[in-house]
Amino acid sequence: MRTRWFYKIQRIGIDTLIHLFLIAVSASCILPLGWMVSSSLKTQETVFADMSFLPRELHFANYILAWQEGGFGRYFLNSIVYTVSAVIGIVVVASLAAYAFSRLRFPGRKILFVMFVAAMMIPLPGSFVALYVLLNKLHLRNTALGYILCMISVGLSMSIFLLKTFFDKLPRELEDAARIDGASKLGIWWHVAMPLARPVLAVVVVFNALNVWNEYVLALIIFDSKALMPLQRALMVFRGEYLTNYPLLMAGLTITALPIILLYLLMQKYIVKGVTAQATFG
Amino acid sequence: MRNTCLRRMAVPFALVCLCLAGCSPQPSVPSKTRTRVIVWHWMTDRQAAFDELSKRYEQATGIKVVFELFAPSEAYSSKVRAAAQGVNLPDVFGILGEKRDLASFVKAGHILPLNHYMNENNGAWKGSFLSKAVAMNEFSDGDAYGVEPGIYGVPIDMMTIRMVYNKDLLKELGGDPEQPPQSFEEFLSIGNKIKEAGMQGLVSGWGEVWLVNCLAYNLAFNIMGQDKVLATIRGEVPYTDEDWIKVFSLFKEMQDSGVLADGIVTMINKNAEQLFANGKAVFAFNGSWCVNVYKGMNPGLNYGVMLPPQVSDKYPVSIWGGAGSSFMVNARSKNKEAAVAFLKWLTTKEQQAYLSAATMSLPANKDCLTGIPDVLARFARDLELATHSYTWGISEYPQVIEAMGKGIQSIIIREMTPGQVASEVQKAKERQTARHAQ
Repeated sequence: MRTRWFYKIQRIGIDTLIHLFLIAVSASCILPLGWMVSSSLKTQETVFADMSFLPRELHFANYILAWQEGGFGRYFLNSIVYTVSAVIGIVVVASLAAYAFSRLRFPGRKILFVMFVAAMMIPLPGSFVALYVLLNKLHLRNTALGYILCMISVGLSMSIFLLKTFFDKLPRELEDAARIDGASKLGIWWHVAMPLARPVLAVVVVFNALNVWNEYVLALIIFDSKALMPLQRALMVFRGEYLTNYPLLMAGLTITALPIILLYLLMQKYIVKGVTAQATFG
Repeated sequence: MRNTCLRRMAVPFALVCLCLAGCSPQPSVPSKTRTRVIVWHWMTDRQAAFDELSKRYEQATGIKVVFELFAPSEAYSSKVRAAAQGVNLPDVFGILGEKRDLASFVKAGHILPLNHYMNENNGAWKGSFLSKAVAMNEFSDGDAYGVEPGIYGVPIDMMTIRMVYNKDLLKELGGDPEQPPQSFEEFLSIGNKIKEAGMQGLVSGWGEVWLVNCLAYNLAFNIMGQDKVLATIRGEVPYTDEDWIKVFSLFKEMQDSGVLADGIVTMINKNAEQLFANGKAVFAFNGSWCVNVYKGMNPGLNYGVMLPPQVSDKYPVSIWGGAGSSFMVNARSKNKEAAVAFLKWLTTKEQQAYLSAATMSLPANKDCLTGIPDVLARFARDLELATHSYTWGISEYPQVIEAMGKGIQSIIIREMTPGQVASEVQKAKERQTARHAQ
């Protein structure tokens, strides 16, 4: 006969296994970050010789050096402008488009939506030359506006797809009530759909912010002037064709990763809700 | 309600407008009469040296030269190709890739022929370079590219790929630190000692394929001579020829002897450099750029430079070498004369010596070789043995090169025999020949 103790031990055993698994997964995520911070505090000589996680000597000056030599100040500002502009642009355009795809009936609606979804399948490098030639013709090459428009375009497909899936499952009764109150289509979108879509919007914001913040290759192709480059350009100063300054590169990477980690932590609550909502609705 | 909605929408709308307006194209400022030469290159680790040279040139001539460096090199390559399609190339730029890529830029009219400049004053400019460096950017009569014969680029540095060895480890293995192995047999015989001592043998970036192919071509030149190698590329000799099978067999012999480091097949060159610099490997197959890399990683590293071990005495040993990087002048640039003048200045003895010292690279100017550090100078020895696919007048199909590299990797991990690899490479060659004949 199985006693109370048996069930208790069984539960403790299962819980221990689950926790060990979760700790292992967490460690695999945190370890590279920890290694990055640890390497950023070593010197070019000790980074290859001292394999300890906590360096014997901590070189915090690497952060100051990385900031100065990489020219982080200007690139940081550029990246903030690009990320904020592109994310606002994506949220406004994608939410309007997704709402229209979900609620309005117009000819070619399905084909247009399929085309947007299909655009997700095209990898960004595949469209480099086409984008370059297009921006050149519009006299937008080597301009921040051209780059922001490209990044908005890149982020639209996935965002429209996520938002449309959410809007499709929203109860229409809420909109009917707003319509009775005299709200226009735009008013319903703003007052009813958008507040309810907050969790999904958080996912859209974080996903696209991460994408724009880390983007470099398109920027490198579009911009000729260093002054317009995003933050990733600063990291390339430490990563030469043959010679890489690992401690400064790691210090630069830590500086670069901080804002995005902060954004994630701030929106963590909404992201979990958004993912859950997608899972439930989808 | 409608008014409130519009008011609230106005905030994000205004924010977007503000950002976009702030980022819109700058009104074109009427340019001053002063000439400004724009240079694109991919070596971001040379920014400080290039900036210093630019400063010196401006002081000397009043002409501003702006170096825009873009890394990584793959992205730089995409940028140059996109700029060529948009006819937006800068005054001076570098091209990465095969010689056929350079040929396609020339045929599209993007690159200024430099014969006139190189040959004026009895060929003074051309004569200042090491001949192997100039040959990299030269097209001759009768080569396979269909380009007007001439010189289309200015070499700014040189590189050779050789073997380096750790003197201390070689001594530990009972060898003479000043007498590295010269023959292939001597090289293989060290393999047993390496295994017994629990050390790592040869490290190199053979996971990146191109470095393994460099050694394969070195060995092929030594076994069958340049003419037969080029006849193979022309399709006159099959890769299943016994000499080629012998070349592939050498990689099996190296693996069997224990002279190759563990995991060399998937090793990237940065890891190989790290292992050698930390004194964890006896040999490395690497380019002259490694002098700067090893200096950065371990300034006290005690190492020597040697030729790849000789397999046969029928033909000389060859080394991979030529111009490290070159600059091309945009044929459509309004500043092309200023660009050529700058490149002439950049390749003078004084500037080349500065660039070499600042970047620890081999200079392209032949008069600068005497003042360079000893270990770097050893990479510049026996330059008559240097060869490079850019100077052969014909290129092998990339698919065949890839089949060869991957085949050698398969031999090393004992997945295929040298005969099977030869057969696979020949099949790839036949496929490409048939495709291009259509």
